[in-house]
Amino acid sequence: MDKTKCGHQWEMVNTRSGFIITEICHKCSLITTYFSSEEHPPLEEYRDGEHFWNVMSSSQSVQFDLRCRLCKTQVSFDELSALMLCTSCKKDCKVFELLERGQGHSVWVYVAFGFKPYKDKRQLTGEKLGILEDYFNMKRKSTKSSIKIVSHELIYDEDSCMGGFIMDEFLLSLDAPANK
Amino acid sequence: MKLKDIIGSLSLNVLTNLDDKEVTGVYISDMLSDVMSNAKAGNLWVTIQTHKNIVAAANLIDISAVIVTQGTRVPEETIDLANRYNVIIISTNDSTFALSGKLYQIGIK
Repeated sequence: MDKTKCGHQWEMVNTRSGFIITEICHKCSLITTYFSSEEHPPLEEYRDGEHFWNVMSSSQSVQFDLRCRLCKTQVSFDELSALMLCTSCKKDCKVFELLERGQGHSVWVYVAFGFKPYKDKRQLTGEKLGILEDYFNMKRKSTKSSIKIVSHELIYDEDSCMGGFIMDEFLLSLDAPANK
Repeated sequence: MKLKDIIGSLSLNVLTNLDDKEVTGVYISDMLSDVMSNAKAGNLWVTIQTHKNIVAAANLIDISAVIVTQGTRVPEETIDLANRYNVIIISTNDSTFALSGKLYQIGIK
């Protein structure tokens, strides 16, 4: 089959479990994030060239590829660290603008994050964002809404963003039984 | 099977707005990344998680409803967000295990 003419039907394959590790260098405050498939993610400080890395957080996650059922094209999403649902926390954010524009048509906007530092690591291309968006929209049964996936570059201020992250960190309820 | 029939059969508590939907199966997990990669559209998602981020995962996959087990209290913030994104959240005092048995008994497989 001619791959350029294929109306791809994506399926998720080659899922790998692991951890998204966030580290900070205590000398220069640079933050780095990466995916680790090691059974026990690193916890102790270590030196790497000029940097002294300390773990800030780790969250369980998965990495995956998407493969077309028809033409067998396989695309890796190793550059994806997490997806986040925009909850319109800041009116001057470009992601919020997109959400507002799509709300008449029930288009929900998700932000795809890469690994930090963004300028030093390979990031998801526009083409890959489109493939990811196609995959999740193909999975949906509802015809009343669809999703749009955009780059983290559109976020106004990532540090204060209040969106809903799809990652397994700080999720277990700390409520005492009396509060049930 | 329709969601409203399941809710009626098992006396589940609906915490959000409710649209009737076709239920295609059940996925049990407390990990959002697992749901994102393995759950299917139309599945009921059974979990003890109540953080607002469950709405992000449920909406992405087009889950038919999230069922929170063990009578765990769901924060208002989560319910408000779910209503905004048309995600249905239901609760039950049953454990995940007991609920799974009941769902199987009424024909959800």
